[in-house]
Amino acid sequence: MTFSKFLTALGFTAAALAAPMAAPSAQAAGTLTVGLTIDPGSWDPIDTFLVPWASAATNIYDGLTSRGPDMKLQPGLATSWELLDNNARIRFKLRQNVKFHNGEPFNAAAVKFTFDRLLGDEGKKGPQQSNYNSIDHVEIVDDNTVDFVMKQPDPVLLTKLAGYGAMIVPPKYIQEKGDEYFNTHPVGTGPFKFAEYNPKVNLTLEAFPEHWGGAPKLDKVVYRMIAEANTQIAELQAGRIDIATLIPFGLTPTVQQASNLQLVSITGPTVVALRLNTRDGITKDLNVRKALNMAVDREAIIKAVLLGHAKPIASFQSELSFGYDPNLKPVPFDLAKAKQMLQAAGVQPGAAIKIDFRGNDATFREVAQAAAGYFQALGLKPSVQPYEAPVLLNDIIPNGKTGEAWHNSWGGWTFDYDNTAYLMYHSGEKWNPYGNDPKLNALLEKQRTIYDVKEREKILQEVSRYVADEALEIPLYNQNTILGVNKRVKNFVAPADMRFRFTDVSVD
Amino acid sequence: MAGFILKRLFQAVFVVLAVTLIVSFAVRLSGDPAIMLTGGAGGVTEQDLQNIRKALGLERSFFAQYFSFLQGILVGDFGRSFMGGTPVAKLIGQALPATLLLAFASLLTSIAISVPLGVYAAVKRGRWPDQLIRILSLVGLSFPNFWLAIMMVLFFSITLGLLPPSGMEGPQSFVMPALTMAIILTATNVRLVRTSMLETLSQQYIMVARSKGLKDWVVLYKHALRNSAIPLVTYIGLQFGGLIGSIVIVERVFNWPGMGTLAFDAISARDYPVLQGSITVLALFIVFINIAVDIAYGLVDPRIRTE
Repeated sequence: MTFSKFLTALGFTAAALAAPMAAPSAQAAGTLTVGLTIDPGSWDPIDTFLVPWASAATNIYDGLTSRGPDMKLQPGLATSWELLDNNARIRFKLRQNVKFHNGEPFNAAAVKFTFDRLLGDEGKKGPQQSNYNSIDHVEIVDDNTVDFVMKQPDPVLLTKLAGYGAMIVPPKYIQEKGDEYFNTHPVGTGPFKFAEYNPKVNLTLEAFPEHWGGAPKLDKVVYRMIAEANTQIAELQAGRIDIATLIPFGLTPTVQQASNLQLVSITGPTVVALRLNTRDGITKDLNVRKALNMAVDREAIIKAVLLGHAKPIASFQSELSFGYDPNLKPVPFDLAKAKQMLQAAGVQPGAAIKIDFRGNDATFREVAQAAAGYFQALGLKPSVQPYEAPVLLNDIIPNGKTGEAWHNSWGGWTFDYDNTAYLMYHSGEKWNPYGNDPKLNALLEKQRTIYDVKEREKILQEVSRYVADEALEIPLYNQNTILGVNKRVKNFVAPADMRFRFTDVSVD
Repeated sequence: MAGFILKRLFQAVFVVLAVTLIVSFAVRLSGDPAIMLTGGAGGVTEQDLQNIRKALGLERSFFAQYFSFLQGILVGDFGRSFMGGTPVAKLIGQALPATLLLAFASLLTSIAISVPLGVYAAVKRGRWPDQLIRILSLVGLSFPNFWLAIMMVLFFSITLGLLPPSGMEGPQSFVMPALTMAIILTATNVRLVRTSMLETLSQQYIMVARSKGLKDWVVLYKHALRNSAIPLVTYIGLQFGGLIGSIVIVERVFNWPGMGTLAFDAISARDYPVLQGSITVLALFIVFINIAVDIAYGLVDPRIRTE
């Protein structure tokens, strides 16, 4: 939802509230069906951290802030906020006359309950709590005002309040029905309310016409869990799902060629790089790392392997990310110069370079082979080593058992370079098994205390330039978010983070 | 007979125990469910992971976890899924019937195809129909089932628009998955029926039946097929066990909400309770089928009981 649409929606709500008797709610009929890859198993916001959860639950819940497909932060259940007490306190004014799907009123108590639960014992059992650790507690000022008392500064918090663990939940409902019931019978304040859930099969939502943002145009949204890409596409072609969320690059032409379908390919959060080993092997040498950066033709890889559905990158972030520096360009491809640099660095022909990657990633397998081809052209002796993803991520990388290069793939929904950069380059982090650079540490720590947007952006850009100068990785590409959409779906603006909100969408 | 069954059951307990031990151990060799759950969460500390592990009961030793799993099985409690906390017994309760229905449908389809073909091939032994059936079964045997499944979807769902490409929604949903499984089974079954029939047809009592002037089909289906059925029943029984195993891929392609899908997802997510539970139930099931086959065999042929 863009801001202007948001205002229009607000206007409509106001009009609807002003004249409730004027007409029965004009609701266009229709069911939209979406294919999801995984069933998160629980629809409770604090239980999971899976994109498919958000693709569905963003319609069930609201956060204090919200973020539409344009990635701009907007008011949600909070209408305004201000920083108090030298940034130690954030005060939120809450939207009034909002109700949960079960009729329970939304108020300051609901906000406090939500965050007490997230930050307390219940949240401890799930993956969401750690995202909100910067909050100490929530205080009720009055029925429509809350204060977030901060443990430490968190400039990304306002964004984080727009999704996942920060979705506002109904206190009375959860206290009465219990957590377990809530997992499979979610209630929020969002534009669609829960209707039915068959684990591993489907989730059905119905329109919630009293939503503060205006009544949805659809009657129903059905989410079907389909893990296999070929199956999702077959269902899409047969017109039995309207939006497919799993379209591998190789299958994009199938969707493009179907007359009833549209391929949506937009800039997404996922970035891919070959991280380099700075402790062992030939990549220990900065000049070798620089040479390798020059030896990979990103454009060619994007064209051949990703069929054009990606953009070359110079740092490990998408152009949508906060901290992105448009002036930082990828190192141009120059095999001859790279060869010279390797020679100057004293690298013997036939020196080994091993690429570790996630074996289940068919796309990256080809990318790794292409990269190996370029390294071979440099006179090196490349090899590629597939691992099962959990083994690579939980053992090989954190324990520093990688080869000279390894596959890094990253995509955070917050679109803030802080999250990525801190985990990737701060010493002691699991994704950074070899590096310990005091200068980088200092920069990363400093930006976490700064609320000034411009100043923080400058530091993050400095981080990205520093990482590029040190050639800690070979940044490859930012891959697109790809969806297959039936042409009968109208007014659908695809969000890069797949957090769908179907208020304005209709179907023919 | 009772002694025979008891002995079988006693062996079965050991088999199932071994399976649970191996599964529980193997699934813990790689990957950390806490990390899988936190996925790309920013700023996850070791303390957070510890909390999650504790909540999942993973801070305990392997044997402590294994024994509480065994204790649970005895009272039919398989624990809760790491993803969302749904009781595993409930997930299996939904998935097992779906898989069994598909397996039965596949088996029946296969029998319906392979018995007439096998009998016909035996009758026309060495002549061109026999050769043709032999070649066809070889072709059927050589198909990778996922490929067959995808081709069927392309043809029946996309080109013709006749059948739903996936899911379990009604009788029409069974056609393609059951046929995929059946084609592969049929390839072996046809050969089996043919061989078994040939053996029976060369028996003297068949000659007697023929010389009595009985009609051909009576001889074939009443006398010969019945007597050829013993090895067939055994084989099909055992096949049922194997079928459950190989159904995983077919279930995935057709998004069938069965045990294969359940186990596959559980492996990817390192959802120990779901994986342990579903594998144990499948093992129990296969062991049970084997016992049932042994018993049935014993009933049909008394000589086996005494061995």
